[in-house]
Amino acid sequence: MELNRRNFVKMLIGGAAGLQFTPLPWKLTDDIAIWTQNWSWLPVPQAGEFTLEKSVCTLCPGGCGIEVRKVDGRAVKIEGRTDYPVNPGGICPIGMGGLQLLYNKSIRFTGPMKRVGPRGSGIFKDISWEEASRMLTARISDLRKNGKPESVAAIDGNPGRSTMAMMVERFIKAIGSPNYIRIPSIEDTYRMSNIIMQGTEGPMAYDLENSDYVLSFGCGLLEGWGAPGRVFNAWGNWHEKSQKKNIRIVQVESRASNTASKADRWVAPRPGTEAALALGLAGVIIEKRLYDDEFINYNTFGFHDWKTADGTNHTGFKTMVLKNYSPAQTAEITGITPDRIISLAMDFIKAGAPIAIYGKGKGTLNGSLYECMAVQTLNALAGNINMPGGVIIHDPLPLNPLPAIKADAVTRRGLNRPRIDQAGSKRYPFSNSLVNNLTEAILKDSESPVDTLLVFSSNPAFTLPDHGRFEKALKKVPFIVSFSPFRDETANMADLILPDHTCLEKTNDIVWPTGLQYPMYGLARPVVEPVYDTRNMGDVIIGLAKRIGETTGASFPWESFEEVVKTRVMGLYNSGGGIVDYDGSAPAWKQQKQRGIIDQGYASFNDMWKKIKSGGMWYRPVHTYKNREGLFKTPTGKFEFFSTQVETAVYEYSKQVSRNKALKAFGIKEKGDMAFMPHYNPESAGKKETAYPLLMVPYEIINLCSNWIPGPPFLNKTLFDNELRGNDSFAEINPATASEYGLKENDRVIIKSQVGEIKVRISLFDGAMPGIVYVPSGFGHTAYDEFLKGKGVNPNDIIQAGKDPLSGQPVWWNTQVQLIKV
Amino acid sequence: MEEEHGHGNKYGMVIDLDKCTGCGTCMVACAAENNLSVRPDESDKQHSITWMSLYKISNGKKFPDTEYSYFPRPCMHCNHHTPCVSVCPATATKIDFNTGIVSQIYARCIGCRYCMAACPYHARSFNWWDGYFPKGKGLERYLSPEVSPRMRGVVEKCSFCHHRLMRAKTKAYTENRRELEENEYITACAEACPVQAITFGDLNNPEHKVSKLAKSPYAFRLLERLGTEPKVYYLSTKDWVRKFADNYLPGEFKPVTSPKG
Repeated sequence: MELNRRNFVKMLIGGAAGLQFTPLPWKLTDDIAIWTQNWSWLPVPQAGEFTLEKSVCTLCPGGCGIEVRKVDGRAVKIEGRTDYPVNPGGICPIGMGGLQLLYNKSIRFTGPMKRVGPRGSGIFKDISWEEASRMLTARISDLRKNGKPESVAAIDGNPGRSTMAMMVERFIKAIGSPNYIRIPSIEDTYRMSNIIMQGTEGPMAYDLENSDYVLSFGCGLLEGWGAPGRVFNAWGNWHEKSQKKNIRIVQVESRASNTASKADRWVAPRPGTEAALALGLAGVIIEKRLYDDEFINYNTFGFHDWKTADGTNHTGFKTMVLKNYSPAQTAEITGITPDRIISLAMDFIKAGAPIAIYGKGKGTLNGSLYECMAVQTLNALAGNINMPGGVIIHDPLPLNPLPAIKADAVTRRGLNRPRIDQAGSKRYPFSNSLVNNLTEAILKDSESPVDTLLVFSSNPAFTLPDHGRFEKALKKVPFIVSFSPFRDETANMADLILPDHTCLEKTNDIVWPTGLQYPMYGLARPVVEPVYDTRNMGDVIIGLAKRIGETTGASFPWESFEEVVKTRVMGLYNSGGGIVDYDGSAPAWKQQKQRGIIDQGYASFNDMWKKIKSGGMWYRPVHTYKNREGLFKTPTGKFEFFSTQVETAVYEYSKQVSRNKALKAFGIKEKGDMAFMPHYNPESAGKKETAYPLLMVPYEIINLCSNWIPGPPFLNKTLFDNELRGNDSFAEINPATASEYGLKENDRVIIKSQVGEIKVRISLFDGAMPGIVYVPSGFGHTAYDEFLKGKGVNPNDIIQAGKDPLSGQPVWWNTQVQLIKV
Repeated sequence: MEEEHGHGNKYGMVIDLDKCTGCGTCMVACAAENNLSVRPDESDKQHSITWMSLYKISNGKKFPDTEYSYFPRPCMHCNHHTPCVSVCPATATKIDFNTGIVSQIYARCIGCRYCMAACPYHARSFNWWDGYFPKGKGLERYLSPEVSPRMRGVVEKCSFCHHRLMRAKTKAYTENRRELEENEYITACAEACPVQAITFGDLNNPEHKVSKLAKSPYAFRLLERLGTEPKVYYLSTKDWVRKFADNYLPGEFKPVTSPKG
């Protein structure tokens, strides 16, 4: 056929028509879609058998029940457990994103390592567990041989009463060092407040769910305080529209946090004046004689004025409060109008079951001791101590104590040395750890008193206020060992890494979730095989002790950490009356109030142990309310408005110096009887400095990790673009304050304190108190990977931490700053 | 094709904004459940991907009367003239009249983003890049096989956790049932919400809690007057919160007075 124009066109048309009858174009279009969408680098998740594993989240001391969905052994999703009494169904966003912490190789240590780069560079070399253990134990044995076991110190961030914390403490003591130092948390403030006012060792137990008026002083109920799953669940129930409940939540806080915004009432005193507000409310209640007469007269000490045997007149709480904290005086201090103070006090005391609770944000760091005590006086005035819906007094969980450690001469001598941080000494009689003092002690001398520092479950180089000083101290410590599973800031300073498992890989316990109103023991179990070459810190400690041998080894007769846990849990069995399962039909807080008889549901210890291991819980919702006989274990046997223990402590210390000097050493400004009662210390509201006219207050939010855990990257999706944009984080200031400084939204500023400076952007926030700069905690990591490193700034960089009176713990909630526009 | 559905299921959601605390657990649960990739910079909201988003609103008052609230926003699964479905040239997004779920079929999507322009709720996101799962980091190890990871050039959005419906149905069929119980199928966000602010169920079933809540005098939907019939309802007793649901002319907004419920 001749190829001319006509034929060519014919062929084209014929071909085009013919194509319509072949599947080729359709097949090709389909294939193109498939080819362009299936790249070898796109992951294809493998299918497999679906299984569910129940456990407990140990990312924070809340200990919520979790269920992990697995596919062919791989964990693919974490969900809340509905069959767990603490958090029926819900968990917080951090727990929800926990799998990213499990698998993300670039933020974890994949095995034991030793440092090869300069300190802080994060350059390590893989070594074997054998070599790592040998390195550490050889060093400790040498120190013991040279008679200096006390130069080993530990910094521990495991929750206070947990078995893991007990193991760390035991290990340090068995070596012969008294220097077991804990990271400060709100639990310390609760513990000291309970000891001073009530003489009780049990945890703070707030019966929120049975209360009908919750007056929260700074407690970040919706920011992640306590067991977030529990508080959130209660919040949902309080706001259930179908049930006609009249429950009111009042938040006392200077910034419109989520809790303050969502509460029924928001009261915004100047930060640091919360104690004055609490006492002002107490004053109104006392003046109007609305307090619980019976409780005050029979169960308290120091309320009325009294005369001691030697004829000295003492001022009671009543006189002190009426004299110093009238509505007008309180208004002057706090900035809340007298009318509001009176109406708030009346609402509180007239409620059926009011409760005043204390906290600072999530409770990651400590609070102010006198402030906590001032809040507790409101509960005493309302007579709601050990009452449903009030503050419940429990004994500590009946776990078996571990046998006393074996001590040879070296150990005994070491243990007799004074603690480096002076906690528990005559100067700090109520504190059990003061990490800020440790920092100062290391910095003070030319040679660090600590030779070997062991760091467990904590990241003080990031979380401590004024961590710059702490890092400086770290540089002076000759040998640092980190047990962290994560490549955090502190671990990057370490010489040796013995990485722990992450939360989903290990056995670990939660001894009484923070703030819970009934005794509760949670047991987390490994839900996945260890992903990397890490080991349970508890097992590693046992191994190290055995390797050191002598009495140190003899103090650890167990084969595994689980065996230790089992030994302790035996105490729960012996105490009787606990439950090891939860079906959701009656919440534990309801059971406790209804005082039903409980069926413990296990036959023998082995049966119970098996059930605790699989179910992860033991709890006992039975309690004797009202009974106040022998409840308070203070020297007077009563709830003490006037603390005889503080008085004695000051007296004891004044044997060395004068009384005034003793008070000054304790950080107490008041001279008279007021010093021994909860009172407001003007310094806690910040000193006036003309060069630094503004106050910086750090704040926590639920979807940002401000503790030692790295934030799961999923959380980055939840941050607003006026919280983080690119690598800039924001400071919130009131539009009025901003206009004073000529600042607009998004402007870049330097926040400068006497310690240092940080660069942020400005977010205009109506919920910010004028004159205050609010900076979120949790940004500004210098460690980890692209999801966290270099994002935003850490307010801890520039916090000038003062000392809280009496407790000696850091005051981190106010720093005088100035703003410089960039 | 059936134009409207009367029978069958009509899955929907009611979100109680008085309960919602803005914690973001729904967003994280959604991202974890649906294999959302997290990029190093998630603060670039024009390029980041979320199926469930959170909006923060303020009553606009000055300190100390300021109050904040939040709007969690999944796909509304519009029931009427579904804007994205009506514009998609590739039939990559469809509404299933048996479930009411608006689907997104990645393999069909040609990436024209017409649906994104059409969606009044900004519920859709475009994959400017392939999912971020760098080699050797281990991030791909937690991916769920129930949802396929997306590739660059396609649009994605909330599916009401459609795979959970499949899972629940499969289970029901093996037990010889044809109907699902009320809470057998719920979305990951509804399950995760720690304050139980999100209720999920069948709006066609008068027994389901959602259909009761949706009739509350406090119930409303976003941009209701567009007539797209979203299947996500919100509840709030606060007028200032409800006012955010639409663009009202002065005097146009009707506060809820003496509600019966």
